[in-house]
Amino acid sequence: MTIYSLLPRQVRFESQLAWRHLRSGGGQTWLTIAAVASGVIIVIFIMGLIFGLQRRLTALLTDAIPHVTVQVPEGKPIPYADLPGRLPGTSSSRSEIQAPQRKNIDDWRTVLAVAGTIPNVRAVTPAVAGQGFASKGANPVGVSLIGADPMEQELITPVTKNLIGGHYDGLLADEVVIDFELAKDLNVGVGDRIRITSISGVPEPLRVAGVYSKGQGRGSAYVTLRTGQSMLGIGNSVNVVYVKVFDIYAADAVAERLSALLECEAKSWSSEFPNFVTSLQAQSASAYLISGFTLIASSFAIASVLIVSVQRKAKQIGTLKSIGARSRQILLIFLLEGLGIAIAGSVMGAIAGIAIVSLLSLPKQAVARGGGLPESLFPLILDPVYILAAMGAATTATVLAALLPARSAAKLNPVDAMR
Amino acid sequence: MSGEAGRLVIETVGLKKTYLGKMPTPVLFGIDLRVAAGEFVSIIGQSGSGKSTLLNILGALDVPTEGLVKIDGVDISTLTEDGLAVLRSQVVGFVFQAHFLLDELTCLENAVLPISIRNGSPTLEESAWITSLLVRVGLGGKLHKYPDTMSGGENQRCAIVRALANRPRIVLADEPTGDLDSHTGEEVFRLMRQMSSEIGISFVMVTHDERLARAADRILLIEDGLMRALTKEEKAVGTSPS
Ligand SMILES: Nc1ncnc2c1ncn2[C@@H]1O[C@H](COP(=O)(O)OP(=O)(O)OP(=O)(O)O)[C@@H](O)[C@H]1O
Ligand SMILES: [Mg+2]
Repeated sequence: MTIYSLLPRQVRFESQLAWRHLRSGGGQTWLTIAAVASGVIIVIFIMGLIFGLQRRLTALLTDAIPHVTVQVPEGKPIPYADLPGRLPGTSSSRSEIQAPQRKNIDDWRTVLAVAGTIPNVRAVTPAVAGQGFASKGANPVGVSLIGADPMEQELITPVTKNLIGGHYDGLLADEVVIDFELAKDLNVGVGDRIRITSISGVPEPLRVAGVYSKGQGRGSAYVTLRTGQSMLGIGNSVNVVYVKVFDIYAADAVAERLSALLECEAKSWSSEFPNFVTSLQAQSASAYLISGFTLIASSFAIASVLIVSVQRKAKQIGTLKSIGARSRQILLIFLLEGLGIAIAGSVMGAIAGIAIVSLLSLPKQAVARGGGLPESLFPLILDPVYILAAMGAATTATVLAALLPARSAAKLNPVDAMR
Repeated sequence: MSGEAGRLVIETVGLKKTYLGKMPTPVLFGIDLRVAAGEFVSIIGQSGSGKSTLLNILGALDVPTEGLVKIDGVDISTLTEDGLAVLRSQVVGFVFQAHFLLDELTCLENAVLPISIRNGSPTLEESAWITSLLVRVGLGGKLHKYPDTMSGGENQRCAIVRALANRPRIVLADEPTGDLDSHTGEEVFRLMRQMSSEIGISFVMVTHDERLARAADRILLIEDGLMRALTKEEKAVGTSPS
């Protein structure tokens, strides 16, 4: 007969009347729906902005660094008394550092294999990393050295896109790519020969194949894996494995997983930048706070409109009770009204919010970064999780707001109401 | 049938009501009322004498301060809140001076409302029955009209059908013709009498209209918080002119 006959009997008449109330409410109904929708729009916008900003900042930071770094743990200072091979009887309060240098990962192929089984892992690159001095003629300049296959290293720390001159791809065994600061200090350019002396003490003559600039700070000097291995004198071994992941916010989990599976120490990018992570958390907290207050404010608006509407319907509520309606049914009618407003408001709010965020994402930045396409001016993102959460929270807040007037309606005494 | 006719659907013994407020207002001082099944009783009395107060108590909308109230054989002081709701839904029907139809519902929807409240929605048979009642009271052409597009008399007729919807034992009517002109009032009254005898429902009607009151099976008078039947003389005064 009617669509209400599809509903369970316990809510059939209540839904019908709630719907009629909303329909006859006209402008007032639309007002409350608009209040819910505004709340949802603001929440979607704030979330989109804050988390978009965070994503952009995080991307800026993490694009150029490994997300997880796997190394063999550094030797802890060992008390002299525990030192193997100490002279019997001697004693000292002195502590010795067991190894002066990073230990090698001899079974790095296992590390690669294990890392490859973790779903979030995007790229794994074995490398050698160490300190050294670069010189051209006299003055040596300190440099950090990374030896890795260029194609693989590119996936960890992009070099090619930052090149000012020369090439990184196809690097030869006797070539090096250095950063602009070092080139300036040594007064060299692409094609010039320099020497890099590593910790092992052997000076290695290298030809500058490329010069790059990160834009800020000093960068490493890149050589091939073989050259790095021989400069640091570690044979076929490596001393670090770099990991890049898909979801950088889940990098901690990947690091934990690797640490658990391997006898290595895996550190995620976030543990290297604790302040950055803390400030992200503070930002998130303020986004949640603003969203919460927005929803509370719109609930108050809804509650006050519903309270007035219940007062205006006192006679009707009395009539319903006089012809057999239970308090529970009256409560349900007004809760369903609240639910109707909540659902309509959150759906419309979500649609409008998505539209607004999409429109604001259209304008592009005037200058593109790193040779890519220009990014949008406002770093807004639309995450379905946040949109659904905003809708859910707004719905809950609205139904809670409806609870107060609904309860006062249910409690009405029919004789008083109808006088 | 005779056994059913003798059954009491309303019985009050020593019913007292005092409104408690800043100043306690005693209204009913001990009402003894017995209404049999199928009876049509009218109650008269001056304004403020407590007629509505009595009706509200009989319909379980209000509670007595003292005394026994049995509706359809059940002492209503023993009923829970839900039990009272069932009583108001299935045993008693109300007609008020104002029709109190819901503006948001059509005539037919208003008339089936007690069924919808009880059971979610009417069955096809129930709808057909209510429709036939509406046709009987001359609202066949108004089934899907809203109260604000219907006349006072039409709305009141719809309200009477609503009071009958759950086939109650008793209909309590508080000045059902009070808002209507005398012609329409008489029509509405005739309708109630017809329904009463046809469906076998007791009516207790409060009215200020002596002519209508006299057309009932019995006239009761509330005076000084007590109830009594009219004396022969009092009845005669009313009947002689006609
Ligand atoms: N809720 C209340 N609180 C206090 N006093 C009340 C209340 N309701 C009614 N009264 C008083 O009780 C008395 C009886 O009221 P009631 O409405 O029953 O009279 P009535 O006989 O129906 O009058 P009318 O013919 O005018 O409708 C009146 O004096 C009224 O002021
Ligand atoms: Mg009255």
